[in-house]
This record gives sequence, C-alpha cells and structure tokens, in this order.
Amino acid sequence: MKTLVGDKSNIIKFIILVIIIAALFLLPSWGNQYTVMFFMLVFMYIGLGQMWNLLAGYAGLVSLGQQIFIGIGGYSLAVLSNYYGVPLFLGLIIGGLIAMVISIGLSYLLLRMKGMYFAVATWITAEALIVIFAGWKFVGSGNGMFIYAVRGMPTSTIYYYSLIVAIITVIIVVFLLRSKLGLGLIAIRDNDSAAETSGVNIFKTKLYCMMISSFLTSIIGGLFYMSQVWVQPYAAFAINWTIAGMFIVVIGGIGTVAGPILGAIIYVFLNQYLAQFGGISMIILGIIAILVILFASKGILGTVQDKFGFEILSARRHSDRTFTGKPIEELDSSNL
Amino acid sequence: MSTILKVEDIHVAYGRIKIIPGLSFEVQEGQVLGVIGPNGAGKTTLMNALIGLVIPTQGKIIFDGVDITKMSPEKRCHLGLGRTYQIPRPFEGMTVFENVLVGASYGAGRTEAKARPYCLEAIKKVGLYEKKDVLAGQLTLLDRKRLEIARALGTNPKILLLDEVAAGLTEAEVQDVQDLVAELKTTGITIIWIEHVIKTMVESTDKLMCLSTGSLLKYGDPIETMNCAEVQEVYLGVDEE
Repeated sequence: MKTLVGDKSNIIKFIILVIIIAALFLLPSWGNQYTVMFFMLVFMYIGLGQMWNLLAGYAGLVSLGQQIFIGIGGYSLAVLSNYYGVPLFLGLIIGGLIAMVISIGLSYLLLRMKGMYFAVATWITAEALIVIFAGWKFVGSGNGMFIYAVRGMPTSTIYYYSLIVAIITVIIVVFLLRSKLGLGLIAIRDNDSAAETSGVNIFKTKLYCMMISSFLTSIIGGLFYMSQVWVQPYAAFAINWTIAGMFIVVIGGIGTVAGPILGAIIYVFLNQYLAQFGGISMIILGIIAILVILFASKGILGTVQDKFGFEILSARRHSDRTFTGKPIEELDSSNL
Repeated sequence: MSTILKVEDIHVAYGRIKIIPGLSFEVQEGQVLGVIGPNGAGKTTLMNALIGLVIPTQGKIIFDGVDITKMSPEKRCHLGLGRTYQIPRPFEGMTVFENVLVGASYGAGRTEAKARPYCLEAIKKVGLYEKKDVLAGQLTLLDRKRLEIARALGTNPKILLLDEVAAGLTEAEVQDVQDLVAELKTTGITIIWIEHVIKTMVESTDKLMCLSTGSLLKYGDPIETMNCAEVQEVYLGVDEE
C-alpha cells in the first residue's frame, strides 16, 4: 500500500520545494535590490494572506480587523526598541505575544458575534485604535514613531526574517489543519451547530485560531515596519491591510494552503506594476477580484483543485492512512 | 431497565411564544422512544432542548443521573447525547470519513489516531464504506441522512436522537433506515426518534409519545398510542364520530 512518505510524487514535490526554498535563501547574493525587495514583500503578504485565510477560509471568521495586529506589531517593535532597548528579533516576538493577549480579550467580546456583525466589529475596533494611537503622545501621536534600531540594517536581513516567517506561517497552517484543532475549525466553518452537537467547543477552537493568527500577523506587522523604519497610526491600522489579505486569498484560493502563496505573488506584482497609475490601481485590483469571483469563485487554486483534484499542501485526511504515512490497519490496536 | 433520561416539567419559549408549556417524560435505557405530533407540536424544539441548542426557561433534564438542563451542547455530546438533524447538516467541505472523524474524535474525546477505527466502524454500520472518501456535499439525501447517523454514532452516544431521518425518503429507503435503527437497537443504545411515518414508528419503537402544542397527549405502547382517539383526532385529523 502506498503511503504519504513513500509516494513517488510526494518525493518529487518535496525536492522541488527544497530547490525553491534554497533559491530563495540565495536570492540576496545574486538578485538585485528590486528583486530582493519584491520577494520580501511577497513573503510578508504570504504570511498576511495565510493568517486571514486561517480565520476566514477555515474558521469562518471573516475579519476586517487584521490591521489591529499589524499595527500592534509595528508599534510594539518601535516602543520596545526605542524606549527599552529590546533587540529587534525579541521585539517581534514580544509584539506577537502582546497581540495574542489583546486577541484573547477581543475574542471574549467579538466571538459572540457571527458573520457580518463580527466583520464590522473587528473593523470598528481597528478604527478605534487609530483614534487612540493618534492621540497618544507616548507613541508619537499622529506623527507616529521612527524605529531607530532599524537604521543601517541591510535589506537582506529583513528579507531573511520575512522568508523564515512566511515559511513558518505555511508550516503552522498545514500542521494546524492536520491537527484535531484544524478538523474542528473546518467543521465550525461548514456548520457551527452541527459541530457543537458533535462535541466541538466552538469558542475555544475559534479562540486558539485568533491567538495564532494575531501572533503571526503581529510579527508580519513588525517586519513590515522594520522595512519602513517609521510606523504611524493611519497606515498601521488602515483597512488596506485586510483588503490586501482578502484580495490575496480570494485570488489565490480561499480555504487552500497554497492559494495565499499564489495570491501574494499576484498581489505584490500587480501592486508594484499598477503603482504608476496612482489611485486607479485600487480600482483595477477590485475589478480583477470581481472577475475572479465571477469566473472562478473559489480563486485560482481553489478552482483548479475542484476541477482537477490537484491540491498542493493538502490538509485532507485519507481514510486508509494516517498523516505519518502509516496505513490505518497497522495502527496498534492495543492503543484503541 | 433503569431510567437514562428524565424530563421534568420543562418549559421552552422563543421570546414570548411558548413552544413547550410544561412537558415531563422518562426514557428507559436501551429503549426506542418514538415521538410523533402534528407540525408545530414542538418535536424539534424538544430535540433542541435535549441537545442544548435551546435552554428551557423552567424544569429539569436529567441524563444518566446528571442535571444537563443548562449544559452546553458539546458537553452534552461528551456525556453521550448524539443527534441527527431533520435537514441534514453535513460538513460539506469534508469527506464522509472526515465528517465522522469530527464526532469520533471530539465527541468521544479521543485523539484522531484512536478515533479512526471507530470512525470507519460507524461508516460501515450505516453502509457508507464505499463512499468514505467522497465529499459530503456530493452525497444523495439518503446518504446524507446515513452520514448524520454515522457522525452521531462516532460520538459514542448513550442516547441517539433521530430527527425525522425518514423524511423525504422513498419507501425502500425508509425500510433501510428502519433496518439500521433495528440493528442499532441490538447494541443497547437508547434511541429517541421523531418521525411522521406512522408505520415506521409503530414497527420500530418500544414506546410512542404524541405531542400536541408542546404538551404530552399520550405516552405508551405504540399501537395503544396510535389507537387513542385524541391522538387520531389531533394527529391524523380523524373525528371520533
């Protein structure tokens, strides 16, 4: 019997993946500055897309407030490094933990709501944070803060951080979806009352999902503002972050692990190319998203998956084998 | 036989509208209790109250010696209450196997690895083994109803609540469901079955309960219940004269 580990096509996929990752790690040594910056943004947006997809595509939590955690990440880094001399790497992690604590508090308020109400409530929370941060002298009010420790840092360092974070977000999403928590998340997304009567604790499952998403989104926010050197409230807590995450997921494929990767590449490419058209660029991005929704409602990879059964980084559970590749018949019956 | 479920004067209301204005009954372990009644009699509301989707404003529900009146649905599931829905609610993005795995792992408190064999056993029992890797969204109505039963069985229930599993099925399919319930009964599981198909109710249940406007009209032997003049008048529209 074939197993996941022994499957020839999986070995080929694994080798291709290793080659791509190796090439990306070597990119700063042979690529020009523009290419490095381009891929650095792609990695950040892969992470952002993965986290929005985790909430909306798998837990059914359509958040319009991911920018809350982007902003928290950026500001935490600025405050910790400027005022307390915390090293940047540690600042990113602490920022993630702060975002996680905030997400726990928010979850107790927001997870009581569903659908549109949840979406609007998350957005309002982000807008409230703009007002709070814009009037808070400690964080530079509306002018924001410079992140002094970042000055002089080579782009390649932030590039590597971003690449590692992007890889980690993908790995976490894959492992999460293949875990019992992921099974519960998808069940809640498909039918929450049936999930509840099947034994799934809806609040706890969504809470864990919010915590993971906020932690990683905050790190991405910190990374982004490391590359910008300056964080200010109107940009850090702007809805544009969530719009970007939504676009990436809608284009790439909602509810797929590989979708946000493809979506992020397309988004960053279009964003760079369309930047010359100023404000019209957002309209063009919107038209592209509408066309994809009309003709491939599950996004590019979601549609490919439906039509051809082709899925990259699948979280699907097969009835005849375990994720370790061990056939179900070989499970130790004494453990049952 | 011992009492596994005791419902003591429960009142259930949606806002100001009282659906169940006081209902009491008991279910014995291993019994198949049928619940009939005209539309709007409060059958599904009773099911929702038993499973925890609505909380009674008054009264008590004692399950296996534990007061579950205000307990959340997932905790009731862990204690051993499994249910199916009148309109099937499969997890459409999941395969049959994954659907049942949710119940077998979360409901029964097992790890995924330990839940898998139980999951396959439940799928086999309802006759969906050949379709175990098919997406639930692609199943026929009968198969969706089978899947509902398998998912509930996966939770290792002491009581299985069936909400109109025969509704919308052909006569042959109803017979399939009836055979399945008969098979489940041999395992000792207690079943509470809401249904409109009278023939099925009379043939498959040990006790039959008729509800009317949320109140108990008759509880007893299935044939005796169906022969009751009040039941015939309310449920079948047959006048005594």
